[in-house]
Amino acid sequence: MLMPDPDQNVINRRDEICAELRKLVPAECVIDSKESMKAFDADGLSAYRQLPLAVVLPETVNQIAAVMKWCHQQGVKIVPRGAGTSLSGGALPLADAVLLGLGKFNRILEVDYDNRCVVAQPGVTNLAITHAVQADGFYYAPDPSSQIACSVGGNVAENSGGVHCLKYGLTTNNLLGIEIVTMEGEILRLGGKHLDAGDYDLLGIMTGSEGLLGVVSEVTLRILQKPATARALLVGFDDTGAAGRAVGDVIAAGIIPAGMEMMDGLAINAAEDFANAGYPREAAALLIIELDGPEVEVDALIDRVEAIVGKAGATSVRISQSEEERNLFWAGRKSAFPAVGRISPDYLCMDGTIPRRKLPDMMRRMASLSQQYGLRVANVFHAGDGNLHPLILFDANQPGELERAEEFGADILRSCVEMGGVLTGEHGVGVEKRDLMTIQFTEDDLKQQQRLKCAFDPGHLLNPGKVFPHLHRCAELGRLHVHKGKMPHPDLPRF
Amino acid sequence: MSDIKATDLRDVQDAIQAAVAAKTRLEVRASGTKRHLGVAAAYDHVLDVSAMSGIIDYQPEELVMTLRAGTPMDQVEKALADARQMLAFEPPSMTKILGEATAGVRGSIGGIIATNLSGPRRLTAGAARDFLLGFEAISGRGEQFKSGGKVMKNVTGYDLSKLMCGSYGTLAVMDEITLKTIPAPETSRSLLVGADSFSEAVKLIATIFATPHEPGSAAILPQPIAAGEQADTGNAFTIVIRLEGIEPSVNDRSQHLQSGFGGESLDDMASQALWLRIRDVQPLAERPQDIWKVSCAPSDAPRLIDSLDLRQEMRFFADWAGGLIWMSSAAPDLGAQLRSAVARLNSGFAMLVRDVGATKQKVAPLQPLTGGMFELHKRVKASFDPLGVLNYGRMHEGV
Repeated sequence: MLMPDPDQNVINRRDEICAELRKLVPAECVIDSKESMKAFDADGLSAYRQLPLAVVLPETVNQIAAVMKWCHQQGVKIVPRGAGTSLSGGALPLADAVLLGLGKFNRILEVDYDNRCVVAQPGVTNLAITHAVQADGFYYAPDPSSQIACSVGGNVAENSGGVHCLKYGLTTNNLLGIEIVTMEGEILRLGGKHLDAGDYDLLGIMTGSEGLLGVVSEVTLRILQKPATARALLVGFDDTGAAGRAVGDVIAAGIIPAGMEMMDGLAINAAEDFANAGYPREAAALLIIELDGPEVEVDALIDRVEAIVGKAGATSVRISQSEEERNLFWAGRKSAFPAVGRISPDYLCMDGTIPRRKLPDMMRRMASLSQQYGLRVANVFHAGDGNLHPLILFDANQPGELERAEEFGADILRSCVEMGGVLTGEHGVGVEKRDLMTIQFTEDDLKQQQRLKCAFDPGHLLNPGKVFPHLHRCAELGRLHVHKGKMPHPDLPRF
Repeated sequence: MSDIKATDLRDVQDAIQAAVAAKTRLEVRASGTKRHLGVAAAYDHVLDVSAMSGIIDYQPEELVMTLRAGTPMDQVEKALADARQMLAFEPPSMTKILGEATAGVRGSIGGIIATNLSGPRRLTAGAARDFLLGFEAISGRGEQFKSGGKVMKNVTGYDLSKLMCGSYGTLAVMDEITLKTIPAPETSRSLLVGADSFSEAVKLIATIFATPHEPGSAAILPQPIAAGEQADTGNAFTIVIRLEGIEPSVNDRSQHLQSGFGGESLDDMASQALWLRIRDVQPLAERPQDIWKVSCAPSDAPRLIDSLDLRQEMRFFADWAGGLIWMSSAAPDLGAQLRSAVARLNSGFAMLVRDVGATKQKVAPLQPLTGGMFELHKRVKASFDPLGVLNYGRMHEGV
């Protein structure tokens, strides 16, 4: 992975920069010793590591603004970081950039039941939002699997999803407002407790922008009343194609389950070894279909779904009879990653999305790629929304295996785009998928995105080297090539 | 002023490149039902995109529809209804209050996206901006680009779809768009609950939303409007709560809510008819007066209403649990009063939707932007349309 050439002038000024930063934030909030910075040298994509120029952990929004303004004036780059759980390297440090950590912004500022929202600082964890309101029957819907650790500011940056986004949406659909600090050090409020402002949806653009447009300093999140009940079906199939069709049949019947997850044979057995969830080991594919809502509704829908999957060729069906049993169904799925970690020294987790009807094609493609690369692949999917998480098993101690696994992964993502899908459903582009962006987008597509970046950060100082495979200077991107074009047939009357 | 009629993106590109070369300004228009929203700016040519119409691909079990932006809403809704699906954000028709540009034409899906207009279900299901998955367009630079995709879960690159929603055609001209669809509810029912004051109504709705009975929409009708809509509870205000879903669920939830909060209920057909009128702002349509909408935090709404000294002759009702207030008045300073009332809140905006006189000449129709937000808007505009070729000035001066 090639990162932009570090600016040696900035690196040479490191001591001076740290001294200046200490004038802007309390001295102990600037970390510059190698040993202490080690804790910040990677995020969830731990194959890539880099020590930053310095780490700054501001305590107030005015300190964030002061640091960013100064860095902007001095031409010093900034990499923002929440909890550091990104799976795509979004928070990977740069040698010539200040790492701006939001870890001290860990307070919930307001719980507002009248308007059904929570105002929080960006370093609060995703799960802490639900914890703050669950005694009153509310919860925060987006539930990325890292929710115990990941921060809500990071959720905004990555537009995080989870297993329930088929019914409840991604972060972007559950976010009412944010406060941001621009690279120039300006503090702006986008959205709020009201819905739909009458200006450009900069809130929507900031969500999922991977820390390239601004630093999130406060969030206002929509909270929902917890559904009265939830039940799940555990459905086995002897063919992944049939399982895929069953998913489509459920939705075609007008039912949107809270979650609809699929696992293939290798994943089923790894998970069963790990969690003893009672999964059917002989099945080629397993669906977990969860329904939530009022009890009478869930009971009625469970019956309908049972009939649909039966018709679709299910070989086994179990329906949770208690909250304990429902959690057990999920225990296997939720431990799928560590479970696969037990059957292989290393694995790569991919994250593409395809139109759901392409699932059988995709399974065949993966089987043939698996043979071609000589590496096993275990599959877990958010089947309801077509989001794949193939886990490629490899051994980093075997020379060349990591590279082979990465090539395999790139081929899977290429296939996703070929089948009408996209490179990433929820993990983000970051550095991991940066160089694959040209598979999905044309040069003009990417240039238009970068022009938007220029509107927020004309100096390319905020989190550079992420998302875009080629960095174009803003002046070059802004140049308008005026065609000699005249109005076609200018002399004709037009109606 | 001459019209340019585009049939595909190539035509659009030609027109925009010519406008860039000649430094002329284009008004982008499909059926024109929403052209009176926003600033009445002057343009050199109309770029008519109404011929860029038709559904390209609709797979109900995939929950996605790919179509061209000029497709009439009636055609979109017919296709959805045939598959027993819908656009969850409940796109309204503006023709009841803004009139028809062409007889019988309700507007295009592109117009809905460009203005990010959403109906009563927006409260719980999301806005137009939550359902645009991807698009192809020509920017004001005359370059073709795409963003997003045709799948539901996608975080690849910036989410430019969000930006297109509510940009009033000032950034790019879309052709192919992909929308997320969802199954239509099997049935619905509404409860009518009385309240003695607007503020009590807002509080009561908050209490109802703190139950697990999944209310989907909530409007507040003052007595004269409730009476006109055959939804009168006899109280100063009537709260309308909509429940949707499968029949046993709707029955169960409505029984629970009725035993907790009392009130009468409207059956599926009556409920649908009432919400259609609320969606299309019909209770305010008949009087020939300016119509404004205000979006604010629901709990701020009573304070906002109380602060207006036009309460006596103003006609209003609220949707979105109190967070959307529609109002009409003959008083010339309603706009000025609303703007200062909104400025006293933490967040919100006021927009002039119908101008029966010359109000726009005195008051900006969209909430004015200031400081860094205005600067950023101009920069975002310039990043797509540096010369101001597309719908220039339609939202704000310089945008």
